[in-house]
Amino acid sequence: MDTSNLTSTPLHRGAEADLSISTVGPWKIVVKRRVRKEYRHPSLDEQIRHERTISEASIIHQAKKAGAKVPSIIGLDLENHAIVMTHLDGRVARECLDNLGINGARKLLRSIGEQIGLLHTAGIVHGDLTTSNVIMSPSGAPFIVDFGMSRRSVEPEDRGVDLHLLQRSIVASHTQNPSSMMNAMIRGYEQTAGEKVASDTWRKAREIARRGRYFAIR
Amino acid sequence: MCLGIESTAHTFGASLVDSQDRIVTNVNSTYRPPLGVGIHPRKASEHLATVADEIVRTALSGPDGSSVDPDVIAYAAGPGLGPCLRIGATVGRALSSFLKKPLVPVHHGVAHLDIAMSSSKARDPLAVLVSGGHTSILVHIGRRWRVYGETQDITLGNLLDMFAREARLPSPGGLSVGIEAKKGQTLIKLPYTVKGNDVAYSGLLTAAATALRRQGNLADLCFSLQETAFSMLSEAVERSLVQTRRSEVLLAGGVAASPRLREMIGLVALDHGASFHPVPIEYSGDCGAQIACSGRLAFESGITVKTSDSFVTPRWRMDEVDVPWIPRT
Repeated sequence: MDTSNLTSTPLHRGAEADLSISTVGPWKIVVKRRVRKEYRHPSLDEQIRHERTISEASIIHQAKKAGAKVPSIIGLDLENHAIVMTHLDGRVARECLDNLGINGARKLLRSIGEQIGLLHTAGIVHGDLTTSNVIMSPSGAPFIVDFGMSRRSVEPEDRGVDLHLLQRSIVASHTQNPSSMMNAMIRGYEQTAGEKVASDTWRKAREIARRGRYFAIR
Repeated sequence: MCLGIESTAHTFGASLVDSQDRIVTNVNSTYRPPLGVGIHPRKASEHLATVADEIVRTALSGPDGSSVDPDVIAYAAGPGLGPCLRIGATVGRALSSFLKKPLVPVHHGVAHLDIAMSSSKARDPLAVLVSGGHTSILVHIGRRWRVYGETQDITLGNLLDMFAREARLPSPGGLSVGIEAKKGQTLIKLPYTVKGNDVAYSGLLTAAATALRRQGNLADLCFSLQETAFSMLSEAVERSLVQTRRSEVLLAGGVAASPRLREMIGLVALDHGASFHPVPIEYSGDCGAQIACSGRLAFESGITVKTSDSFVTPRWRMDEVDVPWIPRT
């Protein structure tokens, strides 16, 4: 589909892509367009944007098929390196988590854990899992977004990175009882990934944290 | 006056920096391995030991030929090649105990950033350190540099040096590859590996070296290697810049001398409204001045070491060093 003639309003500017909101028929949509990078050689730039657009859309679609709550892919605009997907109503978890109270936060984290378990079981790792990439729908269900760094992998290492990154973002941005929140997350993760995978992945996540390659920054 | 002694790998350097942070003298001698061969630690250290006396003597002599007595002696305590580090440390200890002046241990990587910051107006930047020993993206938080992204295997300097060695191009590899790259026309597809804010270069090296052995065009390969490796780093820098929201980007270390890398990181900074501060070319590579510059700042923060405790640390991470003098005023 061609997105070049859509009237849209900017939503967010990331490192590699611009997000904008538009409408197609009755649907509110998000267009994620990978922008040209001046610093990159044109043919390398073209190749990277092309491959990543296809890979991201394909992974989102696989996640959907696995039953995870993610946006629905409406179409691809490979000419413009854009993915068109459904818009999700709701708020970014990072901004509302602290207002939920500890019980509400634990409930949300448990649901987030279930979602991550679904992704991992389907052989998908997110690669950039933070509370900024979780959108809480009005009904309270968390949707995982931004699969720009996602890959297909069943390695405990890659799965561990997902949990570790989520923990880092919770410890750094949300002060109220992060360990209780992570426990709730693991409980949910166990539900969908199984006890064996859950304990292996969590052990790996703690090992990664101890390596000290990643740091609590924000 | 702070005397700085660099001797972490291939370069022995001595330099004087005054209390106003001005570089008074900066004398260096670099070991160059034969074509097709890497740096042998013992051979490099033999070179350093041979030139040390003359370099220090020259760095300490004033314009009229008189000798200057430094107030502080700083030496590169790590990270680096053990045999090489011990040469500089020995010279530092000897001078410190003979002149009865305080001895300051300096982290070579921190020193790369310090001289880059002294030469620019950067206060509290996102720092990109690219050399033979480091490839890291750092921000200063609390008392230390924090690694925001880094190479998961070999450094950018390693990559260029090892490819140059395979291609029998002279050292330093970054310069040779850069010159060949100018003649390149065709971009060859090579592995491009960015993982979050990290990069990995070993697959790229293997692929480029294999293509070379299969009679690939050297100029095109140099061009493609450089474009791919620098693009990977630029992407990791861009991600880090967006996440940390810093308004300055610093580029330091030996590979920062590359005009193409300067251009690319400069474009990333420009695109996100950050100012760009590349280290001056003459202070990009290993030199005595970086150690003197960093040693002076460390001394002013009260960091000294007793001669009996003045060890060298061949493996020493950037985030293990207290650097209380940043942000700069």
